[in-house]
Amino acid sequence: MLVVTWETDGIGNCVVLAGKPYVYARTTAGEFVLMARCSHRGGPLHLASFSPGTTRLVCPWHSRATSVTKALRAGIPAVRRGKRVTAVFDVPATEKAEIEYRPLSPDLVC
Amino acid sequence: MTSGRPPTHAPYPYPLSADALREAVAQYGANPVYQDSAEWFNEDNPYRRQMRPQDLGHLDFSRVLPASEILGNSALAAQRLLTSIYEADMMYLPPTGFAEKREDFSAFYNASNRTLGEMIRPALERHAYGFLDDEVHVTGKWTRDSFRSYLEAFAENPPNGDSPSIRAVENSRDPERAARMYLLQFAADFLSEASPMVRNALGNYGNPQSEWFKIIIDEYGYGVHETKHSRLYENTLESVGLRSDVHHYWQFYLSSSLMMNNYFHFLAKNHENFFRHLGALYYTETALIEDCRSQSKMMRKVFGDSADVTYFDEHVHIDTHHSRMAIDKLIWPVIEQCGEGVIPDIVRGFEELQAINVIADRDLVDQIRWMDGEPAGKDLHGPVRAAIDSGTVTAPVTRVVEPRGKLTNTFVHDEDVLCHVVSGTMKVVCGLDSHHILEAGQGMVIPRQRLHGASIESEECVYEINSVGDYRKCLS
Ligand SMILES: [Fe+2]
Ligand SMILES: [Fe+2]
Repeated sequence: MLVVTWETDGIGNCVVLAGKPYVYARTTAGEFVLMARCSHRGGPLHLASFSPGTTRLVCPWHSRATSVTKALRAGIPAVRRGKRVTAVFDVPATEKAEIEYRPLSPDLVC
Repeated sequence: MTSGRPPTHAPYPYPLSADALREAVAQYGANPVYQDSAEWFNEDNPYRRQMRPQDLGHLDFSRVLPASEILGNSALAAQRLLTSIYEADMMYLPPTGFAEKREDFSAFYNASNRTLGEMIRPALERHAYGFLDDEVHVTGKWTRDSFRSYLEAFAENPPNGDSPSIRAVENSRDPERAARMYLLQFAADFLSEASPMVRNALGNYGNPQSEWFKIIIDEYGYGVHETKHSRLYENTLESVGLRSDVHHYWQFYLSSSLMMNNYFHFLAKNHENFFRHLGALYYTETALIEDCRSQSKMMRKVFGDSADVTYFDEHVHIDTHHSRMAIDKLIWPVIEQCGEGVIPDIVRGFEELQAINVIADRDLVDQIRWMDGEPAGKDLHGPVRAAIDSGTVTAPVTRVVEPRGKLTNTFVHDEDVLCHVVSGTMKVVCGLDSHHILEAGQGMVIPRQRLHGASIESEECVYEINSVGDYRKCLS
């Protein structure tokens, strides 16, 4: 397994693993590691807002809704201390992680 | 909020209303053993703990302090109260002169003090530790494998013992004074070492309980008093000219030093925090190995061969075992017994203690710097007063008149203040063996969250306290 530590905010707020971007989301529903690419057509889920009153993030590209209940309940194991998050990804420890930046929608940083 | 989080932050059952809480705290603080002292030190009397009861009625312990206020006066008051409440469970006897202290003994251990303490404890814990719920958050589904990988990653980049506070001591203008201030910060913890652990020695929870007990046996020196860890620390203190009686330096503990010690009581007194305690214990026994190595080196560097560093050297050795025991004999078997669902709490304790460590280190660095004259409070008197006089800054003022010998017991301000002496002489104490004398017309800036006290050195002293907010605004 691969352990990565990165920042929740600002430059370096995103881990890219095997081409998939992950950000740390702090939402009204809870905190979790979010795979920031929509499974529909690869839209930017890091810019998604919640469909009002639900735990579904609506992708800004094609309005496809993605539920975060699984990420909340049984998501990628992670711990945030202050503005640093350490997560354990279920990939070989030899996998190369790139640290990048993604802008986050207001719903993901509350 | 996600699952698996004990409700520190959330309301607890049967809370007191803010008013009832204030009243109960005031009642607790009215105990004779908690009154202000006319001296800076407690003389071989473990029951005396100055609480500044005059402040208690003005503080709102019903709220959760945000991280920005965690070194403020309310936090300091809460940590002093909690220390006293937790320690009512521990046994203390002064080495000498018990007969004269018997009344204090009764006042500290009597049922009213204990019961009032228990009534206010949950609110104080929430007040002082609720911020951790925001500071540390564990999420996702933790398994044995992910937890093992997390620990392995930690072991690959372990803390190297390079602590900012040790560096501050070594680089201080007066390293010996700074080192004494540093050492006394641990006295509340080390002179009663491992007492919180004993809270989890009772009951019945299988094999891990006996493993837990083995660590306690080491901490207590196998029943040989001279090897008990608290005894080793007494020797350390005495070897550098410090006193070793319990809470002799009560007024000189920083809020964060008490926060660190009380954190373990908070975890151990409330058994719902057992798994967090496991995580914090593992961090302590692991990371502090290198800390003890650095502490031992610092002692040698500052005090030379006369310093007794047995305490620190012993921990470099024994904590290598304790670290291994904590993980192999306690944590993994407990996960085996209770399931992977307890891992998030273990991770939480492991991370929370690191968060508290960072706070305590920063607090101590700032205090040592301030004892060394940074910022130079007396030099700032002129410019800050000019800014107030010219009206550039509005600073509410309190005028105080005090007689000779009056001792303002230590506390912190929540914002920078300018202390200005109108007449008489005042001594402002910034830490152990560190003070400034202020004569009429003189004054100094006392930065927010810096521990200090004062005494009057003339027949009478008239002085003003101006609350300036951020003193740097007065300089532009
Ligand atoms: Fe020990
Ligand atoms: Fe130990």
